[in-house]
Amino acid sequence: MSARTGRAAVTGVAAVAVAVVLLLAGAGLLLAAHHERSTADTANRALTDRAATGRVIAEVGDALDRLFSYSATEGAGDRAAAAGLLTGPAAEQYRSLTEQLRGWVGDQQLTLTTRVADAGVVRLTADRAELLVLLDQSAERAGGPPTVTAAQLAVTARLEAGRWLIDDLKSL
Amino acid sequence: MTVRERLRSGAGAVARSGVRARLRSLAAGLLVLAAVAASWTGWSWYAAAHDGPAARATVRDQVLAAGEQAVQNMNTLDHADLDRGLDLWESSTTGDLHAQLVQGRADFEKQVAQAKTVTTARILAGAVTELDEPAGRAAVLIAVRITVQAPQAQPAAKDSRMLGELTRTASGWKLSALGQAPMGSTAGSATPTAPAAAPGTAAPGSAATPSPTGR
Repeated sequence: MSARTGRAAVTGVAAVAVAVVLLLAGAGLLLAAHHERSTADTANRALTDRAATGRVIAEVGDALDRLFSYSATEGAGDRAAAAGLLTGPAAEQYRSLTEQLRGWVGDQQLTLTTRVADAGVVRLTADRAELLVLLDQSAERAGGPPTVTAAQLAVTARLEAGRWLIDDLKSL
Repeated sequence: MTVRERLRSGAGAVARSGVRARLRSLAAGLLVLAAVAASWTGWSWYAAAHDGPAARATVRDQVLAAGEQAVQNMNTLDHADLDRGLDLWESSTTGDLHAQLVQGRADFEKQVAQAKTVTTARILAGAVTELDEPAGRAAVLIAVRITVQAPQAQPAAKDSRMLGELTRTASGWKLSALGQAPMGSTAGSATPTAPAAAPGTAAPGSAATPSPTGR
């Protein structure tokens, strides 16, 4: 073997070795990138999309305020309007709840007022959201002092026709 | 003619140099390909590691996990194992809240040893409500069921809603303030200001403590 062919062989081997090292490094980087992306729960946009997070909190909070505020003087129309804020299982949950409440509120001349004290988004995707909502519920008998109780709800909301509707309610 | 003999012949030399040239261009091509692949994957990794939403999602989930664990720790205490319980309180906290716990520890130990209570907690739900990653601050909202077992008494369970403020430290996110979410306040918002007011309520005496009125 001549010196020339020897050098050529060394260069060839070196080139292949460098290529192999680069490919290995590439594979490692690809794995690292995949790991980075798969450990991050990017499907959950809670707080990573601030605008969407703020919007779902505002809409769901507003809906809960309206749904859980009753007064003895309230008409059927108000209830129907409130029902428009609901979808899925929540609609049925709400119907049975209001039936129980209606008689009670009427008999005792009660006014129930609900205020969202605080809320956080647990999970948010394009059309579905899970929230933790703290409610202050104040019950006031005609002429009496209000009594305030706290409630914690796990709320699931669904985006339908551009609006967040309440899909499921669970008291914690 | 053997292969060796043919290689030694003139025709063999021509063929050999042709093969060598092809091999050389193949190696060069492979090298370029490998370099391109390496730089593409390098970029892909960099993008993943520095991707705003992905990085933020990771931090958000870390904050929630740390917040839930810390709130659970802060509402767990066994009078028979005070040292371990209170060490855990201290290691779950930082800043003012930590300083208060350290300062009030001796008195608090006495109180709990006397009351002989065992307090346990279960996290019902939690959410991150604020996340300021550059500043290393975050806020969480956590619903927790706290059960206090006093001697010769039925265990008393109480649902509590807590606002926690977390601060990033060298050893992870830790609670720097903790308090009950205010209820029935006339003020419009209970949100971001609440944790600032919390240290007083979260000092030994509120969390896993036998409440003074309860005795």
